Amino acid sequence: MSKSELEHLTDESHVGQSDDHTEGHQSENIVQQIISDLGDHRDFTVFNKKLFELPVILVDDGLKIYSGVSDMEASGEYLYHHHKIVKAENGEPLELHHETDADGHHYATPALDLSITNFVAFQMISAIIMIFLFSRARAAYKKRPTKAPRGLQNLMEVFILFVRDEIVRPNIPVRKLANSLTPYFITIFFFIYIMNMIGLLPGGHTPTGSLSITLGLAMTAFIVIIFYQIKQEGLGGFISHLFAGAPFPVNILMLVIEGAGLLIKPAVLAIRLFANMSAGHVVLFSFIGLILAGGAAGTPFSIMALFVYVLELLVAFIQAYIFTMLTAIFLGIGLHDENELAH
Amino acid sequence: MEGMGFLGIGLGIGLIIIGAGLGIGKLAAAALEASGRQPEASGKLQTMMIIAAALIEGAALFGLVILNGLNG
Repeated sequence: MSKSELEHLTDESHVGQSDDHTEGHQSENIVQQIISDLGDHRDFTVFNKKLFELPVILVDDGLKIYSGVSDMEASGEYLYHHHKIVKAENGEPLELHHETDADGHHYATPALDLSITNFVAFQMISAIIMIFLFSRARAAYKKRPTKAPRGLQNLMEVFILFVRDEIVRPNIPVRKLANSLTPYFITIFFFIYIMNMIGLLPGGHTPTGSLSITLGLAMTAFIVIIFYQIKQEGLGGFISHLFAGAPFPVNILMLVIEGAGLLIKPAVLAIRLFANMSAGHVVLFSFIGLILAGGAAGTPFSIMALFVYVLELLVAFIQAYIFTMLTAIFLGIGLHDENELAH
Repeated sequence: MEGMGFLGIGLGIGLIIIGAGLGIGKLAAAALEASGRQPEASGKLQTMMIIAAALIEGAALFGLVILNGLNG
């Protein structure tokens, strides 16, 4: 979302340079450009200019670490072929002749790709921001233990109390469990919120605009829900929740439905976050494209684009809040209230 | 892409947006009416309205994500 985004979209020479597109249609190239700009890059790009290359880490008969894509190509073992890393032999991509791919070739790829890409770098940046914010708040608490909070400490306290009193405590009835789980919910809330906001700063990329990253977050929610449910209720209690208390033959059907629900609920959390983030950015890019393509007639679109940008700020907070709240609700559903009489 | 493919995608997006618009419209109508009857509850109503709107919009966006995959 910056000036060089606009340059990027109107720079015709850049648009024609992608080697993937054999047709020369400009509109299709711009759409592909938008989608690939929102995707992952292997170099650290800010304001759509490559700053430096990020390390490539592969696990393929042992751990191989290169300092960048060009370093990897110089070593001769792998090639960067059509946006994929393939094994190379004597400077040519190594082909497997077992199956054919869409373009008729099937290349040998490394077994596991753990490289640090642009999204991973931005995740690390947001983790560093979180560590900085929380350590400053903690230092302020230590320095002034009995006085009223001020400054950054006050701001952090607003958010932390919001998560604790509106999200965790109403949904998790067992007070001891709520206290031990509050750090997890605060972490998830701040992490998602900061990742969403980083994409709105000029030059930033949104890590949550990628399904892989949101699936990772949903996996942590999945593990937390199952682990704490089993820990609180015991394995027998967990299974009896899956049976949902229906009489015998309906039991089996309920087991299937509840089991599917157990897997689908975190997946739906991931897709909701991913779709909201990436859809918002695609709409914003489209408005910018309309402004540029419309020329003088494109002026009303700038107001719409500004409105969508402010809406994105609201959506960033709401999506973080909904992810955290739904995780707390799913966890609370499976637990018994400690004040309940009999069950 | 074939012509019928384009038609299918356009129809899909239109239907999804109709569904989301109707759902959120009904929700907003109910929230505004309740807020008119009892103005001091409007803070809580606003919170619940935003949450429900985000969930309905999430459902619409699931469909759009799958359409994105269909587009190839």
